[in-house]
Amino acid sequence: MIANIIQTTGLTRSYGDICALKPLDVQVPEGEWLSVMGHSGSGKSTFMNLVGGLDRPSAGSLSVGGEDLLALTEDGLARFRREFIGIIFQQHHLVPYLTAVENVMMAQYFHSVPDEAEARSALERVGLGHRLKNRPGELSGGEQQRVCIARAIINSPKLLLGDEPTGNLDHKSTIMVMELLRELRSEERFTVIMVTHNQEVAAWGDRTIYLDDGVLVRDERANSR
Amino acid sequence: MIVIKLIPHAVSWAVIALFLVRGFHAGRLMVIISGSGGFALGALGALVLFRLLPPESAFGIIRGGLGVSLLLLWGVAVMAAYRPFWKRTTYFEGTGFTVMCACLAGCMAGAVSASRLSGSGTSLAPYLALILVGGALASYAGAVEKRIPEWFIVGGPSLAAVVVALLLYGSSLSLRLDLFAPLTMKVMKFAHDFVHQFMESMLIPDHVFIRSNLWKYIGVLFGKEIGFWGALVIWFTPLLLIVYAIQFEPLPSVAHIRQGAERRRLLAVFIHIRRYRLIPALLAVLVLTAAVYRSCVPSVEYWDPKPIVVTATPVGDIFIPRKGDIDLEDGKLHKYLFRQGGKEARFFIIMGPSGKLTVVLDACAICKPDGYGQAEGTVICYYCKTLIPLDTVGRSGGCNPVPLAFSEKDDGVHINAVTLMNEWDNTVQTTTKVKGAGK
Ligand SMILES: Nc1ncnc2c1ncn2[C@@H]1O[C@H](COP(=O)(O)OP(=O)(O)OP(=O)(O)O)[C@@H](O)[C@H]1O
Ligand SMILES: [Mg+2]
Repeated sequence: MIANIIQTTGLTRSYGDICALKPLDVQVPEGEWLSVMGHSGSGKSTFMNLVGGLDRPSAGSLSVGGEDLLALTEDGLARFRREFIGIIFQQHHLVPYLTAVENVMMAQYFHSVPDEAEARSALERVGLGHRLKNRPGELSGGEQQRVCIARAIINSPKLLLGDEPTGNLDHKSTIMVMELLRELRSEERFTVIMVTHNQEVAAWGDRTIYLDDGVLVRDERANSR
Repeated sequence: MIVIKLIPHAVSWAVIALFLVRGFHAGRLMVIISGSGGFALGALGALVLFRLLPPESAFGIIRGGLGVSLLLLWGVAVMAAYRPFWKRTTYFEGTGFTVMCACLAGCMAGAVSASRLSGSGTSLAPYLALILVGGALASYAGAVEKRIPEWFIVGGPSLAAVVVALLLYGSSLSLRLDLFAPLTMKVMKFAHDFVHQFMESMLIPDHVFIRSNLWKYIGVLFGKEIGFWGALVIWFTPLLLIVYAIQFEPLPSVAHIRQGAERRRLLAVFIHIRRYRLIPALLAVLVLTAAVYRSCVPSVEYWDPKPIVVTATPVGDIFIPRKGDIDLEDGKLHKYLFRQGGKEARFFIIMGPSGKLTVVLDACAICKPDGYGQAEGTVICYYCKTLIPLDTVGRSGGCNPVPLAFSEKDDGVHINAVTLMNEWDNTVQTTTKVKGAGK
């Protein structure tokens, strides 16, 4: 039996009167690729931020990789994010005045110590071996997103979170990024949670959940792929 | 009063004990027992020395022990610097080694603390009290050590550094045990002799051809500064070697770990711990700095009288009554200044332990004439900080103040002004030969 890497019961997050996430029960088995869909404001990012330890729930229980996130201190949560989570956003959040390699090394630095050789090989793995010394401004959107992927996986996370990572990309770049992610996942065996608006992108996953107004309304398992 | 004097020694012994317990993994109780045992041995040993030997020899022996611990620290430091994998050696482990080290450290701490009791006789009781307090402090330090966080790691070399630094600090609190001031003198003399030898071997007659502005540079080698800096180098080099050894200890081999993140995490943990391991060594540097400071600015209260101006009768007789405005028999140093023909000379009169008055110049045959002060049964040369026991004041040689002929008549001391001026000139001429830099 595969253990659940994520397990929530009654997970709730409200901002004052607004209840962004109504009590939610989800289990995600280790190694699964889960797509999260739903219209704007339905609580997808809220869910992801909770799972990634970027935000704390208002109520309910949340265990990720065996850690009870509610019980962790701020330091514990920071360590959890550092060692357990890789995140890719729609906006790339790369440091504009650092080169691609330096951006990856920065993630190494916050995790432990920088290692340039390893950072280079990570960029080579995402097909950017020829763009190591370029700054984000000199890279295309798809290339930037691949730098983000290299940065997200450099510390060998067990859980990779993507919040609409392909939202700004054209069709061709989207396919390239998704293929890259699939390839990396088959090598590194991390779990993926991917928030998207795009049905086609969601279809790359093993399973799709649909949120509506903070409520889980549908939970579909892909039958092919 | 004595209790106050002992407080810094007690504190440093407690800190030594704490570091011993943290530094040795052989078991808290054993370290405490062997440390306290050593402390008792050291204190009793000091008592025996004070009973059997004249104070100067007794202090000399304890000071010798301190010197040896500094040498040991040098050894440890050189080994640490040459041997980055200090931790991996097995010579410095094991129960026997631990007991020996704790015992030795305790012994030195005990002897240094006990030497502060020497002023108040040689009865056993205060020494026993000191030993009891030492044992209690060691046990207390053992209890406190449990509360110090895990990350505070004390490696072998740092332990040696802290212990020796604290011992030297303790010794710097007492003029008679202080190592630093004599060391500066030794270094100074060495530099001095070296220059002379060098010039001799080069067949340069050193006082004829060398112009005064050249002396300005060579004079540096004769000055007090060279002694000070040289002694600083001798004191701090081992600590710096140890800091270097820790800071540049090679990273562990992680090549066999395939996953980059895991590899880097191990390195990060190592670097993190290494940083913490520097703390004790840096602490030792601080303590030693305090010791140097104490040595250069001793807290001992000197009896440092202002010279009283005296005049001579027309026939050149200087008379100082035994019991005039000043009581010459009070055991204190009384300093006088005599002027004649634009020159001046200083001398002092003191009653020694034997009850006899002694008249000496306020200068010695080897140092710049900075004069003397009085401290704890001694007079001290301000220039070289040498302590001259009171019962040897009046004898000539070394840094002893130059004796002056005098006679006792009419219930006072008579000194011949011409003799005084001549003696002063002769003495001071040789010791101020090197343009103000002193010799
Ligand atoms: N920090 C906040 N303070 C107040 N309300 C918030 C905050 N963050 C999110 N919300 C609200 O919570 C709800 C869910 O927001 P969330 O960002 O999760 O939506 P989303 O599904 O990611 O939408 P989108 O697809 O547009 O990114 C929204 O109504 C939003 O306004
Ligand atoms: Mg969103």
